[in-house]
Amino acid sequence: MSSLEKQQAGDTYWRSLGELNDSPRFRAFLEAEFPEELDPGGMSRRRWLQLMGASIALAGVAGCRWPRKEILPLVVRPQGRVPGEAEYYATAMDLCGTTLGLLVTSRDGRPVKIEGNPGHPASQGGTHAFAQASILELYDPDRSRGLKQYAGSDGTSKEWAEFQAFAEKHFAGLRAAKGKGLAILAEASSSPTRAALQARFAKSLPEARWYEYEPINDDNVREGSTLAFGAPHRTHYRPESADVIVCVDCDLLSGHPNSVQYARGFAAGRDPKRGPEGGRMNRLYAIESRYTLTGAAADHRLPMRSREIAAWLSGLEEAIRRQLAGEKAGEQTPFLAAIVQDLTGSKGRSLVAVGASQPSEVHAAAHRINQSLGNAGKTVVYYADANPERPGHMAAMRSLVADMNAGNVKMIVVLGGNPVYNAPADVKFSEAYAKVAERVHLSPYSDETSRESTWHIPKAHFLESWDDARASDGTYSIVQPLISPLWGGKTSSEMIAVILGEQSTDGQSLVRRTFGELFGQQDFEANWKKAVHDGLVAGSEGKPAAPAIQAAKSAPGKAAETQAKEGELEIVFCADDSVFDGRFANNGWLQEAPRPISHITWDNAAVMHPATARRLKIDADTFVRVQYSGQSLELPVYLLPGHAKDSVTISLGYGRKAAGNVGGDSAQKIDSVGANAYTLRTSSSPFFGSGLEVSPTGKAYTLATTEEHHAIDNLSEEARKERGSELLRESTLKEYEAHPEFAKHAVHHPPLESLWNEWSYEGHRWGMTVDLNKCIGCNACVVACQAENNVPVVGRQLVLKGREMHWIRIDRYFRGDSEAESPPISHQVVTCQQCENAPCEQVCPVAATVHSHEGLNDMVYNRCIGTRYCANNCPYKVRRFNYFYFHWDLEKPENEVKKMVYNPEVTIRSRGVMEKCTYCVQRVQAAKIVSKNERRPIADGEVMAACQQSCPSRAIVFGDLNNRESQVARAQDDHRSYAMLAELNIKPRTSYLARVRNPHPSLDKAEHEHPNATT
Amino acid sequence: MSTLTLPLDDNTTNDPKHRAPLIAGDQSLETLTDVVSGIVEQPVVPRSWYVAFAVSSALAAMFFALIGYLIFTGVGVWGNNSPVFWAWDIVNFVFWVGIGHAGTLISAILLLFRQKWRTSINRFAEAMTIFAVICAGVYPGVHIGRVWFAYWLAPYPNHMTLWPNFRSPLLWDVFAVSTYFTVSLVFWYLGMIPDLATLRDRTQSPLRRALYGLFSVGWRGSARQWHRVERGSLILASLATGLVLSVHSVVSFDFAVSQVPGWHTTIFPPYFVAGAIFSGFAMVVTLMVPARAYFGLKDLITVRHLDNMNKIILATSCMVGYAYGVEVFIAWYSGVHYERFAFLNRAFGPYAPYYWTMVTCNVIVPHLFWFRKWRTTPALMVIVAVLVNVGMWMERFVIIGISLTRGHLPSSWRMYAPTWVDIGMFIGSFGLFMTLFLLFCRFLPMVAMAEVKTVLVHEESHAAQH
Repeated sequence: MSSLEKQQAGDTYWRSLGELNDSPRFRAFLEAEFPEELDPGGMSRRRWLQLMGASIALAGVAGCRWPRKEILPLVVRPQGRVPGEAEYYATAMDLCGTTLGLLVTSRDGRPVKIEGNPGHPASQGGTHAFAQASILELYDPDRSRGLKQYAGSDGTSKEWAEFQAFAEKHFAGLRAAKGKGLAILAEASSSPTRAALQARFAKSLPEARWYEYEPINDDNVREGSTLAFGAPHRTHYRPESADVIVCVDCDLLSGHPNSVQYARGFAAGRDPKRGPEGGRMNRLYAIESRYTLTGAAADHRLPMRSREIAAWLSGLEEAIRRQLAGEKAGEQTPFLAAIVQDLTGSKGRSLVAVGASQPSEVHAAAHRINQSLGNAGKTVVYYADANPERPGHMAAMRSLVADMNAGNVKMIVVLGGNPVYNAPADVKFSEAYAKVAERVHLSPYSDETSRESTWHIPKAHFLESWDDARASDGTYSIVQPLISPLWGGKTSSEMIAVILGEQSTDGQSLVRRTFGELFGQQDFEANWKKAVHDGLVAGSEGKPAAPAIQAAKSAPGKAAETQAKEGELEIVFCADDSVFDGRFANNGWLQEAPRPISHITWDNAAVMHPATARRLKIDADTFVRVQYSGQSLELPVYLLPGHAKDSVTISLGYGRKAAGNVGGDSAQKIDSVGANAYTLRTSSSPFFGSGLEVSPTGKAYTLATTEEHHAIDNLSEEARKERGSELLRESTLKEYEAHPEFAKHAVHHPPLESLWNEWSYEGHRWGMTVDLNKCIGCNACVVACQAENNVPVVGRQLVLKGREMHWIRIDRYFRGDSEAESPPISHQVVTCQQCENAPCEQVCPVAATVHSHEGLNDMVYNRCIGTRYCANNCPYKVRRFNYFYFHWDLEKPENEVKKMVYNPEVTIRSRGVMEKCTYCVQRVQAAKIVSKNERRPIADGEVMAACQQSCPSRAIVFGDLNNRESQVARAQDDHRSYAMLAELNIKPRTSYLARVRNPHPSLDKAEHEHPNATT
Repeated sequence: MSTLTLPLDDNTTNDPKHRAPLIAGDQSLETLTDVVSGIVEQPVVPRSWYVAFAVSSALAAMFFALIGYLIFTGVGVWGNNSPVFWAWDIVNFVFWVGIGHAGTLISAILLLFRQKWRTSINRFAEAMTIFAVICAGVYPGVHIGRVWFAYWLAPYPNHMTLWPNFRSPLLWDVFAVSTYFTVSLVFWYLGMIPDLATLRDRTQSPLRRALYGLFSVGWRGSARQWHRVERGSLILASLATGLVLSVHSVVSFDFAVSQVPGWHTTIFPPYFVAGAIFSGFAMVVTLMVPARAYFGLKDLITVRHLDNMNKIILATSCMVGYAYGVEVFIAWYSGVHYERFAFLNRAFGPYAPYYWTMVTCNVIVPHLFWFRKWRTTPALMVIVAVLVNVGMWMERFVIIGISLTRGHLPSSWRMYAPTWVDIGMFIGSFGLFMTLFLLFCRFLPMVAMAEVKTVLVHEESHAAQH
């Protein structure tokens, strides 16, 4: 009981002396009368109300009619709660052992929106798309709604008490046998509570085995650090301190688990603003096989097959060594020479980062380079691994399977994860798994693994859980529940506590115990409250280690082995930008978010260079057959200029057979989304390998992309080129310094006069600026907008028809020749530009879209009759039409829970009306009300649009243009500021800050002819 | 100089010594009434009419069924997407409105210009106009997202004190088309009153007598009544003349006022009007050639009438062709690359076949009408007329559809493909049109008897003077 509850219990009323004395006999009597099993934590008044409420609500579900519902006000308003007013709670999300601090908006007891925690080092206010979409996962009606015991493929519903009875029986026996025959398969986690539990587990069950497996893992990173330093270390980068960043097959800005922090750090060094405020431009090099967002953000990019990268990095290491030693440089490509010059020229302020897919030798080489350049401790920070004895994930998987096959495992508890689906194909996990007598699976969905287990236990969503975690820099973060588990889910920690037979198995007390152990008992409650409030403990970051290079343990090289033959195909597996390793496959927001670079939705594809496809006689828009490691897979092909030649990238996480109604469910005959690349993956080379064969099948198939992905005709190709430089203006740093206002002169037009007296905006004048130099195109804004504004998901068929509903989109432009080695890509976020002279308003016959006094282009949904004229007349094509009723699914009783995800501040649009970005007018209004009540003007930065708030690189700025000191006003005064299609005299309120690339002078002419040559 | 030898019933030569007769054969006032009324009064309706009616009304039923499906499911049953928010719906609307241009032009403008030859064809053409405008009117009505609120387009007093947006060309369109339809209908009906009275007087059926009697509003043929009908016709003709020019000009504003490259063009109003007259006349010819043969009206609707209409088709074809040329020239001359691309994209983009079909049918094929043989041979002129209508449909798609597929931002370019509902509704709208047309042929006087008689009388008196 917390102290608060104790105080309230001061004056007690009693019915018998036994009750008053709380005697054991009375307790036993109570136990028999009112079993506590329903809720191991005891029944609080709240819990009782919740349960009663739920029973009443559920009583109606059994019937075929709609349940009759009554809404009753609370008799006593809980302190500080104003109905309908948003409350914010800090929490954190753990993905593959990497933590992102979050700040969650809750309305009337239900979380509705996720933002980054501005105080958290990994987030600093930004989020990734996964975090944004996790709110949809919380309310996913397909999430497992209770325990199931499986006999064969049929599951029967069970109660938690029944599992507890089972657990008591089995785990007590196992504990007696010191855990012999028990195996735990856990996900990666940075949680100190789990580490503590793991330690207790190891102590009390020494014979039991503990394995950790993640399909997307850091095995190579750890082994690389072991190779370099003799002991495993975690690597944390500080791109904000680097002037030169070399990403070696490393998607630092988007694919990396800690990308939010890194993107922010990178963007901090992309400000070319001159003058007293200074500004700094870093230079980013990317050497990679697939075209990642880091590659798109890079100033120079070199596409190269993954397996050739090791040799390339050895070359770089040697060149740097010679340069530092003052030796004569050998034969070098201009690209390599430039990197060497840049890296050695900014010692201590440069950074070489290697992706987790590259083998350990490459990581070791990068460590050596960073050490030799004096970057260690400055731009690269090492932390000693908390659990150095832990084997790698692939090794763990192999030994687990061996154990299971050998019959050493009588009982396995899988804590999260979905190994039946995502284990490497060669270990044959499923077969071995079936040999274990009792298979307990804790997972949020009744997925592939659950269906092959004997017990399935619903796993609590992180928004329902008490837990803790450590950020990449070691900051202790607290995971706080926003709602009690909707379907009675349990956390991994709680499960371990149950296995250990601990006294208190509820998450909160477990975390509190760890907290006490970590930060002492002194001022515990105050510290705890502050930590829960802040979501973290300030100053708890790890102590950087300064490991020394273990010389000679790994000689640079093995170059000859990794040198691939010309024309030999290579397969590259990568985590998907939307479904990650498959865990988000049932998330409609993520499935429909256009994948960065390719803009594919609802599918994965074999991505390859057009020249490779030509050589293999593969046509666009067809299926190909991929043969690798003795397995074959058919999937659609996607041709991507700039991809490494003779390399084929396939993202993992698709082809789910038991994901749910969205991602595919074979039991319900719902087709899988995409093809399962895990069937090709081996444990020995999980990220790339050669020996791939790709052959055409001739089967036509159109990928649902949100942008035409290849030029149909030369005419459009030329028009794209011509327009590209006008719509998305960019230059090089050198040119920018010579002509700071280059962006304003990219388009010449007659003076823009008006026939009328223009409206003068006296009060607020809202405006937005998107810094193209900082935007990395990561999709966080797209999903954030979807969450904030209740944007519907339409599905693959309608995306194919061109009816996706996103209010914000990321346009992608290739520059120059598509056959070039690496045609540069630029991103441009486009949403309603809130034109002052809006073409859409003029043409609406019923005045359903009108201008507000603050210059917002308001959409009046209930006045709209759907002529769609406004959308035709919108030059930015940001208006979206509800061609169907996209919320039909809410009428199904089982989807009732889905209604909770909607933002109550934003209307759900009906069929037949137009919708579009409103600059988050609901947030503007909320801030106005607060400031009015407090009789003060709205402060700059007080209103944040959802896209702006989510942006990890702070590319979007929103605010009041009438406040000349506001960030947005100053941004619009910037030299680089320009309005897209301003020549139409529509006066858009959104402006863009032109992109300034920072090429190395020696490579400048070769790659960039002159971005603004055409007009 | 050799003399042309022509068949006896040919009245297409222009011999300065003789005014060519407008009515061929040996028609008197009485026979004329018999011929026209006879069609309506046939005791046994030919089976072929029933067959045609069955087919047409089945298609019309399909049309309404699809509209029901559309309204219950959503506009998404069509192929429209983003950025092609308007597609076959508005293409068909403009197509039908265009067809509805010939009738009023013939009856109003030619009346004011005292073109007597119009008398034989004006009733027929006006009926066609009304039916085409009905077909046209259905589309904007059902194409909106929330059909049940279509009445919000009307400026009616309401408790929200909301008015429509008078700056929107779409609103102008509502007024233009509804005014045009109303005036055309009243004009058509006014001219028909004397003929309805004739049918009332001749019919044997009490039901028909009652109905014709009702609609002939007590016509007795008194001088005062004649005076009023003729004055009324003149007033309506003056009103309608303006409307002929305004309605399609306003329809063109839907596009010209916007700023979509390919739409934003000041030439649109005259260009659309010329195109509308062009397609309207082509439709009249397409329907009239079989109708005059089937109903035995060759004496009243002579080859000379058809010849005149074909000349108008030829003239408007030249105007349309000129407009195409000017459009392309201005796109280049403007120096705006968005405009330039819009036109290049029409001609050489993925939809080039549509563009070249349009050019062939609208600009090249009608030049066959320089040849007298093509102008005066019914079978040949029907081929040209049908092709002109194909071409004009293409023109609307080229303007509306292709322009939308590729607007300003290449990121939002998207191809368009119709669905079966789009195609079904287009075919169904022809069913509705033909159903109305067949009912008209069956129950109403196809030729304005009273007006043709004035031409006949003129012929006789003229002959008597010599």
